[in-house]
Amino acid sequence: MSEQTLITVKDLSVSFDGTPAVKNISFTVQAGKVLALVGESGSGKSVTARSLLGLSGGTVTASTLDICGHDARSLSDRAWQKIRGNTLSLILQDALMALDPLRPVGREINDGLKEHTALKSAERKQRVLEVLKSVRMPEPDVRAKQRSTELSGGMRQRALIAQALVGNPQVVIADEATTALDSQLTALVLSQLRALKQQGRGILMISHDLAQVAHLADDIAVMRHGEFVESGPTQQILEHPQHDYTRKLLRAVPSSVPRFTALSDLGAEETTSPARKIQDSEQHSPALSVKDLSKSFGKHLAVSSVSFELPRGKTLGIVGESGSGKTTTARMVLGLEKPDSGTVELLGERFAPSTASQRQNLREQMGAIYQNPLGSFDPRYTVGQLLTDALSRGKSKRASEYRKPVTQLLEQVELSADLLARNPRELSGGQRQRLAIARALAPEPSVLVLDEPVSALDVSIQATVLDLLDRIQLETGTSYLFISHDLSVIEHMSDTVAVMHQGKLIEHGDTASIFGSPQREYTQKLLSAMPRLR
Amino acid sequence: MSRTAKICCLLVIGLWLLMALAPSVLAPGDPLAINPTQAFAKPGLAHFFGTDESGRDIYTRVIHGAGDSLAIGLAATALGMGLAIVLGTIAALSPRWLDEIILRILEALYAIPSLLMALLIIAFTGPGVGPAIVAVGLSTAPGYARLVRSQIRSLKNSEMLEAATVLGRGTWRKSRNHLIPNALKPLLALVTLGIGQAVIWAAALSFLGLGTPPPAPEWGAMLSAGRTYLHLAWWMSLFPGLAIVSVAVSATLIGRALGGKVKSL
Amino acid sequence: MNTLAWAGRKVGGALVVLWLVASAIFIAIQLIPGDPAEAIMGGPGSQASAQALAAARAEYALDQPVITQYLLYLGKLATFDFGTSYSLKQPVTQVMGEVLPNTLWLSLMALAAAWLLALCFSALAMRAGRIGSQVGNLLEIIAAAVPHFWLGAVLIMLFSSALGWLPAVDNGTGHGLVLPILTLALPLAGFLTQLMRDSLSEAMGSQFALAARARGESRLKLFWRHGLRHATLPALSLTGWAFSSLLSGAVVVEAIFARPGLGRSLLSAVLARDIPMVTGIALFSALVYIVVMAISEGIERMINPAGESR
Repeated sequence: MSEQTLITVKDLSVSFDGTPAVKNISFTVQAGKVLALVGESGSGKSVTARSLLGLSGGTVTASTLDICGHDARSLSDRAWQKIRGNTLSLILQDALMALDPLRPVGREINDGLKEHTALKSAERKQRVLEVLKSVRMPEPDVRAKQRSTELSGGMRQRALIAQALVGNPQVVIADEATTALDSQLTALVLSQLRALKQQGRGILMISHDLAQVAHLADDIAVMRHGEFVESGPTQQILEHPQHDYTRKLLRAVPSSVPRFTALSDLGAEETTSPARKIQDSEQHSPALSVKDLSKSFGKHLAVSSVSFELPRGKTLGIVGESGSGKTTTARMVLGLEKPDSGTVELLGERFAPSTASQRQNLREQMGAIYQNPLGSFDPRYTVGQLLTDALSRGKSKRASEYRKPVTQLLEQVELSADLLARNPRELSGGQRQRLAIARALAPEPSVLVLDEPVSALDVSIQATVLDLLDRIQLETGTSYLFISHDLSVIEHMSDTVAVMHQGKLIEHGDTASIFGSPQREYTQKLLSAMPRLR
Repeated sequence: MSRTAKICCLLVIGLWLLMALAPSVLAPGDPLAINPTQAFAKPGLAHFFGTDESGRDIYTRVIHGAGDSLAIGLAATALGMGLAIVLGTIAALSPRWLDEIILRILEALYAIPSLLMALLIIAFTGPGVGPAIVAVGLSTAPGYARLVRSQIRSLKNSEMLEAATVLGRGTWRKSRNHLIPNALKPLLALVTLGIGQAVIWAAALSFLGLGTPPPAPEWGAMLSAGRTYLHLAWWMSLFPGLAIVSVAVSATLIGRALGGKVKSL
Repeated sequence: MNTLAWAGRKVGGALVVLWLVASAIFIAIQLIPGDPAEAIMGGPGSQASAQALAAARAEYALDQPVITQYLLYLGKLATFDFGTSYSLKQPVTQVMGEVLPNTLWLSLMALAAAWLLALCFSALAMRAGRIGSQVGNLLEIIAAAVPHFWLGAVLIMLFSSALGWLPAVDNGTGHGLVLPILTLALPLAGFLTQLMRDSLSEAMGSQFALAARARGESRLKLFWRHGLRHATLPALSLTGWAFSSLLSGAVVVEAIFARPGLGRSLLSAVLARDIPMVTGIALFSALVYIVVMAISEGIERMINPAGESR
């Protein structure tokens, strides 16, 4: 059965002001099939996608650039406008920003129709509602009048997909369409894409995560520094990768990787019985003991009667969707929110940091790592100043007596001492997170609360950070409260797991049991949506 | 900010200071010296900017007039900023009712534009440099106060402060190390912008005859005199005006270089 | 917050502001040394006749305790009775009624002109290269920094004396309005353009702009449908302030171009220490500010219902 080739690309090169971003790549997109372009940030995959729409912003050359019969190498602006949205369309990553927050989503979708059809206003309205129904938007007529900021995450995603479909395109380009979405939304997007595939459209998926594309893609092309490192059918790439880089990407996926097995080259040594500083955790009181925590915001019950324990030197993973209450729980544990009821015990002592005398000492035992570390840094401080401030308990920013401990901290997180004078803004995402870890470790805490620490990182960078966290735990015996929506990360990093849904702790147990034989229906549902590589 | 930009800024500020504090260095003559035979002389080598209706050298008067204008600008901005920081901080950190009251007061001040405010004050106190300073200060205060207030409010709940809390810092240290410096940072850039604007308003008051009394070489007053002889001696209006504009423009550029964004008013 | 509640809040706030301004003036009057009747009638040492002083005393109930005076004062203001102007010997409301329309008209047209100019410049700036952008930036800064009184003189020199295209003084035809409006509008346009340009370029480089272009929109449509809204938002929120500063500028411009208006009356009132006149104008300008603010906030809400609360 010969598939119809929709897009043929040969020797595509894109450069910006003389600097090449994409070098001589070739691929095809076929009807009813999915091609995935996988690579890290800066690999040129997004540039490639955009040049298919003529929106790369750079100089594009190719020996063949055939888009559904149009020779796209020499299209005028006008001609491009006719193709865009019509023959091929784009689904971007962030639904909140990809839809104009000042306009109702119905209008955004309507625009596509205005461009490409001669339908009258009433007919267009009808079409908008139809396409919203096709993406299963609840109450489409109400939602069409709302703006993206007024819609929930799921509805926004659907609106985003709808606006790409309204022109009935033959090819759909999904640029990081599932990155940074929780599992529910990811499953939603993937199922929509699957439906599109079955309708006979061609799909180009851009992603940094092999696990996401593994089930949907027919072919995978791995990109690095603007070139294809390897390409071929999915099965072949996943099971018999030829290139080192491909192997590195595969190795970085935490899905089904056992605890303490390295995901990257910087990883901890593989040990079957890791030596930990704290011996018998049963002898001492648990690192954290949380009983019946509850919190309401107005009428909304965010957290309801949550209890768990974190044994010393171990990791408890809390997993849930957005809105499940996991972040609020973390904030109560950290003492940033006052619980309506319930207690938090740190190392056997009541953790109620409102008593000023206890505050400094108690708090030092517990550190926090956020999803976006930049927001937690004072924008005026350099790397060195941040760490000095942390070590000196806020008394000093730039004392030379702290030089040595600062350098030691940097070593611990594998950051070069060259970075001391830089502002965190200039660092990459991975480096910033390492800096955040270094700062959190400065007071030598017993517990680290990590709220989505790797969700904003590329899979390969994520792997290095996770390995770092493992190594630190092995060296120092710090206990981790690890919060994430990403099930494969939780599975890899946790000794015990707690599943949260709508404020309640649904299921709690050791990792193997939860992931192997989930008891509750919600957990089962959650696990079934998890993209597995192996 | 690039090195050249920094150097230019410093040069400009240095020039202002020189003009204000030691004008005789740049213009050794007497700004008040009358010379009726030389009235309405065109700009040339003898008189760079020409002379006015009494034969006074305009170049000398422009240079000597800098001191007054800049002094008023500085004083007014200092008053406005000081008031703004106090009111803005109180408003940001107080309970709802106090915040609302202060907001209303700020709005009342904001509602009367600088010039009208100056005129109102002068109606009660009579003209002079003092009222000019108070007027400009009072009318610029609400804009800055709003900025301070919104900065502090957004910083209050920022992740940066939370991270500091988690590290165990107390309120005092958090305010001192993080809250206050970051809240005041945007103000710094606006200070220079403010000085530029204040100089203009002060000159406007003199132009209307409500500021420094003649025959002081104040730029606004010079413009006022020049208006009558516009067709005869255009240089009387051009150069003082240029002086005002250049102060305001360089103030804006410096402010922009320091990172001030226009939006923040 | 629904519209009715919002409107109610605005009206309430407006009343509070007006009350604050009125009270401030009242306190200021009390602080003038000497005979209060004299103060109202032209300041200490005024030349008012004994008759006028007696009339003032009666009208303002100056023999009564301060509280009664205050309440009486507020009561009169509420019924729009601002008293009689000392210098012009006419009721303040009458004087204002004569000159208000001129100034309002001038300011409104200047506001419209400034907005139009700012929009055009922002749109042009969009297409400019890097050098054009820098030049444009500098021009805007200069425009915003130019004081009205100087700009007026320059424009007169240029268009009136040198080129003879436009009259310097109002000669009854529409032409007489052009220079005053330009003088008022240009600095404001410079300021507004800077604002708009920032927002515009931010909007045009955003994700939704990319998505829109991916749907097939041309750059022009992008500007119309998306860019415009985003560009005007910050400018809208400053419109209240901009208008009152226009009123301020009108004072100067009316002086330069010898036009009758609120500005001239205010100037002479101030020089004559005519308190009733000054009170009337102060309250009026506060009212104008409030109304303009309310209107622009209303428009803002329409464009951006999800707006931040202050």
